[in-house]
Amino acid sequence: MTEFTPAGSTPADSTPEPPGAAVDRTRVSDGATIRTNALGPEASLEERRRAALAGGDRPRRFGWWYACETFLHSMRAYGWTLVVGGIGSPLIYLLGLGLGLAAVIPVSVADGAAGPVSYVTFVAPALAVTAAVSVGMEEFTYPVMAGFKWRKTFFGIAASPLATRDIPAGLVLAVAMRMAFVTGAYYLITVAFGAVDRPLLGALSVLTGVLAGLAFGLPLLAYSASLREDRGQMALIQRFVFTPLFLFSGTFYPLATLPAWLQPIGWLSPVWHGAELGRFLTYGAPTTAWLVVVHLAVLALYAALGAVLAVRTFTRRLA
Amino acid sequence: MSTPAREAARAAVPRRRPLGAIYSGNARIVLLRGLIATKSSTWAVVVSGFFEPVFYLLAMGIGLGTYIGDVTLPGGETVTYAAYIAPALLAVSAMNGAVFDSTWNVFFKLRFSKLYRTMLTTPLGPLDVAGGEMAYAMLRGVAYAGGFLLVMQVLGLNGSWSALLALPAVVLIAFAFAAVGMAITSFMRTFQQMDWITFVMLPMFLFSATFYPITVYPEAIQWLVMALPLWHCVELVRGLTLGVMDGALLVHVGYLVAMVVLGVVVATRRLRALFQD
Repeated sequence: MTEFTPAGSTPADSTPEPPGAAVDRTRVSDGATIRTNALGPEASLEERRRAALAGGDRPRRFGWWYACETFLHSMRAYGWTLVVGGIGSPLIYLLGLGLGLAAVIPVSVADGAAGPVSYVTFVAPALAVTAAVSVGMEEFTYPVMAGFKWRKTFFGIAASPLATRDIPAGLVLAVAMRMAFVTGAYYLITVAFGAVDRPLLGALSVLTGVLAGLAFGLPLLAYSASLREDRGQMALIQRFVFTPLFLFSGTFYPLATLPAWLQPIGWLSPVWHGAELGRFLTYGAPTTAWLVVVHLAVLALYAALGAVLAVRTFTRRLA
Repeated sequence: MSTPAREAARAAVPRRRPLGAIYSGNARIVLLRGLIATKSSTWAVVVSGFFEPVFYLLAMGIGLGTYIGDVTLPGGETVTYAAYIAPALLAVSAMNGAVFDSTWNVFFKLRFSKLYRTMLTTPLGPLDVAGGEMAYAMLRGVAYAGGFLLVMQVLGLNGSWSALLALPAVVLIAFAFAAVGMAITSFMRTFQQMDWITFVMLPMFLFSATFYPITVYPEAIQWLVMALPLWHCVELVRGLTLGVMDGALLVHVGYLVAMVVLGVVVATRRLRALFQD
């Protein structure tokens, strides 16, 4: 057991305090979980201090959830935008591209388990993944900058009895919930369009969509967290990373259609891996078991790498 | 919100022009300020805007073109799919550039950095500010359009000499969206309200004969699309780059001119109401 010495403590700190003073102080810091009174009036200052520290540790067990709640609450400020955008843009994209564009494409673009599939069936899984990825683009750029630099919310949370890693963990959980809402809305609307051949298995595509969103989002989170100045880096990422990944990932036609020199963009792209998984799940696009494993592994690898780097950056800046 | 300092400043400028109360004839200084600000901070972002339509042209024109083949125009001629969507992407990029500049940037200067309030404490009037900002947005639109037209020429997507006229057409498009965008932004109070602009832009982008002719829609929807400004832009630029010239082009130009007039008048009035009266 190490001696507890607060940083920058002055001799005044170690002077004996009147009975009850420590109780009041800890109650202010976390009244709900610390009951130093339970020690009784005979307890020494050192015992009280140890009890207070133990009490301060308690919320840390589910600290990521407290952090997540904070971020969910802050999303409520633009809750209506999230709901309207989350349901509206799938409708618009599926109508505009899935049905409108389909009317001028004379041949079927891809095959399913039982022959050619309609264009909307082909394009919907890729659009759902893109929606999850753009939630990542939105939530892991400027809000992260704000948390560190402008509004300094992260420093505020870091000052509470939460582990530093709880902050990125809570943020990621909250954003994953938003991604699940968006991909879920996409999925339900696609089912309503009659563009899902296997509705039950296809529901899993909501999860693979979120995974793809995190595979793109977590490395981005790690990068955003490392930024100290906003010099338009986010706009450049939007243009030179997000847009090419959206356009050249076999979103609107099979990847093999692209010239050979553009295809590697798709192999690296979380959008392509996510879309291929979605296509397999929703309409049984022909694939092999090992390819499915590769898609999952690539996405998991990106997400894990991003998570490690993000936690490291958050720890460096906050701990 | 009248201060003695501003009264003194205004008194120092003789009012000779008919619009003296709102215009000091110095809009170019507002434009110059925008250019200097770009040079010192966001030039990379501004330059990168050029690549957006190029990426779309590559992805949709070449990739999707494999499946769609040629498109038959209302006049009976057929053109490649890339040549069909390229002018639409040109119009869209001019719109996006102008709208982004005249909404988010203007909103920031209006509500956060208070740049306009500062400007209006000088002899500059609301029309100077509106004019200078719109000129900047237009300049940006022209730069993108010029570059993209060159790309189209290299790829052989311009069907006629009249493609040259697409350049002034794009200036008009940028002007129209800059003016209306600025007018609308002057009514916005929070960032959340700004998101509604996206909700209008997205369907307009997808439904305005950008990627396929509007004849795929039922007639009622076609009328709705034809009421939207982007459709007029797309048709105007497409007519010019493919060399389909008819009286409809004048209708499109008229629509855009009306947008310009409405936007400038409303934006100027709002700036005056917000900061001078």
